[in-house]
Amino acid sequence: MEKSFVFEFLGLKFDLVGIVGSTLMALAVLFICIWLSRKVEMKPNKKQNVLEYLLDFTNGIVKDNVSDPDAQKHLSLYAFVLFLFIWFMNQLGMFLEVKVDDWMVIKSPTADPVATMSFAMMTLLLSFTFGMQKFGVGGYLKNYTAPVGFLLPINIIEEFTNFLTLSLRLYGNIYAGEVLLTLIGNRLAWSAGWPTLVAAAPLAMIWQGFSVFIGSIQAYVFVTLSMVYIGKKVTKE
Amino acid sequence: MALDTLFAASHVYIGNAIWYLVIFAILMLLVKHYAWGPVSDMMEKRRQKVIEDLDSAADNRKKAETLANEREAALKNSRQEATKILSDAKANAQKTSDKIVADANSDAASIRKKAEADAKQAKTDALNDARGQVADISVAIAEKVIAKNLSAEDQKDLVDQFIKGLDN
Repeated sequence: MEKSFVFEFLGLKFDLVGIVGSTLMALAVLFICIWLSRKVEMKPNKKQNVLEYLLDFTNGIVKDNVSDPDAQKHLSLYAFVLFLFIWFMNQLGMFLEVKVDDWMVIKSPTADPVATMSFAMMTLLLSFTFGMQKFGVGGYLKNYTAPVGFLLPINIIEEFTNFLTLSLRLYGNIYAGEVLLTLIGNRLAWSAGWPTLVAAAPLAMIWQGFSVFIGSIQAYVFVTLSMVYIGKKVTKE
Repeated sequence: MALDTLFAASHVYIGNAIWYLVIFAILMLLVKHYAWGPVSDMMEKRRQKVIEDLDSAADNRKKAETLANEREAALKNSRQEATKILSDAKANAQKTSDKIVADANSDAASIRKKAEADAKQAKTDALNDARGQVADISVAIAEKVIAKNLSAEDQKDLVDQFIKGLDN
């Protein structure tokens, strides 16, 4: 079991792995966005085309799941940044997993449930906010008894299950990917000399490719489900 | 705590959660300022421009169509006018030529009538003149003849001549 740098600051526990990974990837997203949008023109250049394609893609996710046009406008930025950020964090551990002795330094922050739960919590709170803005506090609370009153406990439980499934799906996928990659790279490769070393290389490559695919799909799923949950809150049933 | 047992393997770091949220918020602001804002503004502007361009293109096409229709109508009118002018001119020319011919005919007829009348007049005048002269001459001749003593032979010649004149 790998160890990680944990320090305490202002009475809160911090895990350096998640902080380093998320900060790095936030910077990566920021620099790529700035690099792609250096010259914004009416007739788009190649870089701007890439950015506009991405923006169209996330806007499409928002429009498919949120019918309220006002909320659509506000959620466009959220979906765009969330998708890019989670995608980058998912991919980080696939090509860069830095371990010094037994100390983990860099891996996917999303392979940690705290990270995924933070983002899921953000979506949950955002959905509350949108619901209350749309229907008012009273109207929002009343929606928990819709369509019939006795569904109230189920509707409340649904919030928890939404939160847990949203966060743990992402965490599980990325964590499993990393565990298998570690197993192939550390255990299988060194288990019986050079034959397993040779055999492990293509396996690791295949699994990395698959993990890139899974990471993309999971980023897409996370953003889509976030939009579904928020969309449900702003739609009268 | 249920969550503690659930995530016994990895501890719950509240600090990290706050860090993620702060990082995400900062990232969102920066991306909005540098990339998302300008690009979506530009996309919206482009959308508006495309809509405007389409509208103005439709307008222009409509204008061009009406203009073409007007032109066609004007062309048709001018063609009709030209035909009318031509036919008018033809009719006028025909009328004028008819008039000229008729005038000429009537002039010729009157001239001829006058000429005939003149000729008749001249003839009657001449006849009258001749008649007077013939009477005078015959009177003179008769005087001369009578003045001469008529011999029997002369008388016979005279009668013969007279008869000869009758034969002629």
